[in-house]
Amino acid sequence: MEQNALTFRNVSSGYKHRKVLDNVSFTIGTGEFVSLIGPNGCGKSTLLKTAAALLKPLSGVAELFGRDVHCIKPALRASLLGVVPQKIESPMAFTVGQIVMNGRISSMGRWGIPSSLDQDLVERSMIYTDVLGLRERYFTELSGGEQQRVALAMVLAQDPKIIMLDESISHLDINHRQEVLQILMNLNREKQMTILLVSHDLTLSASISDRFLLMDSGKLIKTGTPAEVLQPRVLSTVYNCNLRVQQDPYTGYLQVSGAVDSLHRRKKLNRSIHVIAGGGCGIELYRRLLIEGYEVTTGVLNRLDSDAEAARALNIKAVLEQPFSPVGNDAIAEALQMIDNADAVILSQVPFGSGNLVNLELASKALKRGKTVLLAKGIADRDYTDGRAALKLVTGLLKDGALGWESMQELMLQLSNTLTTDFDDQ
Amino acid sequence: MGMKDAEFCADNSFTGNRRIKSWLRFFLFFAAIILLLALSMLIGPSGIGIPDSHSFSGSAIMSLRFSRLLMGMMTGAALSASGVVFQALLRNPLAEPYVLGVSGGAGLGATISILAGSGLFVSFGLPVVAFLSAVLTLMVVYGIASQGSSGHPSVYSLILSGVIVSSICSSVIMFLVSTASVEGMHNVIWWMLGSLQPVSYSQQLLSAVLIIGGLSGIWLLSPRLNALALGREVAHYQGLHADLLLVVGLLFATLLAATAVSLSGMIGFVGLIVPHVMRAFIGPDNRKLVPFAALGGGTFLVVCDALARTLLAPVEIPVGVVTALAGGPFFLIILQRRMKQAWIA
Repeated sequence: MEQNALTFRNVSSGYKHRKVLDNVSFTIGTGEFVSLIGPNGCGKSTLLKTAAALLKPLSGVAELFGRDVHCIKPALRASLLGVVPQKIESPMAFTVGQIVMNGRISSMGRWGIPSSLDQDLVERSMIYTDVLGLRERYFTELSGGEQQRVALAMVLAQDPKIIMLDESISHLDINHRQEVLQILMNLNREKQMTILLVSHDLTLSASISDRFLLMDSGKLIKTGTPAEVLQPRVLSTVYNCNLRVQQDPYTGYLQVSGAVDSLHRRKKLNRSIHVIAGGGCGIELYRRLLIEGYEVTTGVLNRLDSDAEAARALNIKAVLEQPFSPVGNDAIAEALQMIDNADAVILSQVPFGSGNLVNLELASKALKRGKTVLLAKGIADRDYTDGRAALKLVTGLLKDGALGWESMQELMLQLSNTLTTDFDDQ
Repeated sequence: MGMKDAEFCADNSFTGNRRIKSWLRFFLFFAAIILLLALSMLIGPSGIGIPDSHSFSGSAIMSLRFSRLLMGMMTGAALSASGVVFQALLRNPLAEPYVLGVSGGAGLGATISILAGSGLFVSFGLPVVAFLSAVLTLMVVYGIASQGSSGHPSVYSLILSGVIVSSICSSVIMFLVSTASVEGMHNVIWWMLGSLQPVSYSQQLLSAVLIIGGLSGIWLLSPRLNALALGREVAHYQGLHADLLLVVGLLFATLLAATAVSLSGMIGFVGLIVPHVMRAFIGPDNRKLVPFAALGGGTFLVVCDALARTLLAPVEIPVGVVTALAGGPFFLIILQRRMKQAWIA
């Protein structure tokens, strides 16, 4: 048998109107225990579905043991690869025993009468997962954790070479989670079973996995050993929050935790930030700043702009101008007032044209008045003014002491650093 | 065959006492069916009892009763089995031929061919036309429901578009009837009310072939229908051609429903309720459910027809009225007691 259990070669995949996986390539060797991690909606489930031939790649090839998954007959595929889905539902009164028997459906004959091998495999996987006692119960009446164990039993009954679990251990109580992980590790060690575990529990995954695959927005960001992937800097950008990675002093395993101290501090900061935005690029900024506890003002925005709508919905004070008109003097004066009251001015990733160049001039006035100014980097791509006026202005600003920012995480860090220092100075 | 499957299930999940109980239940079921069928041979508008088989009128009455029994068995079995399959495929307790527009489409096709066709064409072509128009309707329903989804329509959009298409079909039928000649109108309305009045011998034969074919097809699919009950995704992971299974299952169920409609008109209730009641008694395992629902549905319709002929004799009540009026309360009581076994979520 081929050495590689699962290989993705430049796979892009997704749905009719939405590409989810973007040019993903990786290899999982036979007998590896791999954790697939990444934030919600980054494409982990799509990756599993593509590997199981439920989705056809838009481009690239997904291979199981060296063969294109779409060319493998379904019954053979089921004997190679088992998928434990996030949730299974049975609206009809099937018993647990009947559900687990489904794992053998493609190897049973036309009449669905199980052989003694089928019976044995079902029995064994029910014993493994501790659901034998539930055999006569209706599947739907079980608790979420019990249902997940039954689902695992069903997949184990397939006797596959690879098992992929889609967040399937998240609902288990601590006792059964340890047990299920122990089962998976035993299968991995004794039968060389390859395991791909989608998980949100990074600490847990770190203690059991050979390797991590880290995904973000449909791309594979990083692969490697837990120590290589679980680095605060990498994780903080992907998960967009402060994370701490420590080594457990007793076991040596890595532990990932949210920086709890930053959570406790969340009270009104009495710090006010003025945001220069437009065209929808301010919404995420508003959200983050409000969560962090800042007072937020914004402007100048055109009425009907999606940022203006968002500001109104979030109760953010905003300077508004008529739709589709250049910014007038009254609005500029009002915005300057707001900037005077603010501790810092943030320039979002807004594109500049002749109509809103005034906003950039506002930023330069703010800098002259001694405010902290933070500019989104990459202005060159967003400059639609005559003679690259915006680019020149920004370059000048950076020279005069404005700070640049790229990721939201970086911005929040800069903000809390500069504003706290200010506070200490006073 | 049904017995063999029952035995497997008994090995697998029942022990001792429960095993005997389940055998007893099957025995009672078959005894009841034979008894009910025999009873319905004994009653009719001419009175209760066996008519003198040596007299001409007596043997005519017996042969008439027998051919109505065959009509009832065929129609009831087809409707009820197609309901089982629709419910299993769509995993929805409301799914049945009427809700998905299949009966409406078959009815429209049948109406057109009754109004347009002559005798021979009607008797032989009716089931075929009904099937083709039902398939066409199902394709329209499926197409509408698929819009905006990524190829796989949700059950809810299928049912919604089925109800819409179904009511369009019945409006068109109304329109056609209202503009038809008096004779044509009479034929269509008589047929639409639903009756087990024996149709021509050739149509009966063709329908029997189609229904037996459809039932066998469904039964062959039934082990796989069980896996589909956990959803298309899980069935795919278990190594089935889930999409193919869905399409083939829908086609067989449509064949059965359309043949039943072309045979006996629009008889409601059987395709929805009988599957639930049978599921309440023998569980959701489709291998057993398909044959039992077919037998049960057929017998139920035969008994209803016997009542319809006899109760107000010589006036005949449309059998569709009896199925709902007599069957409704009876089945409601059963379902109330065993709802969990019938449909759990």
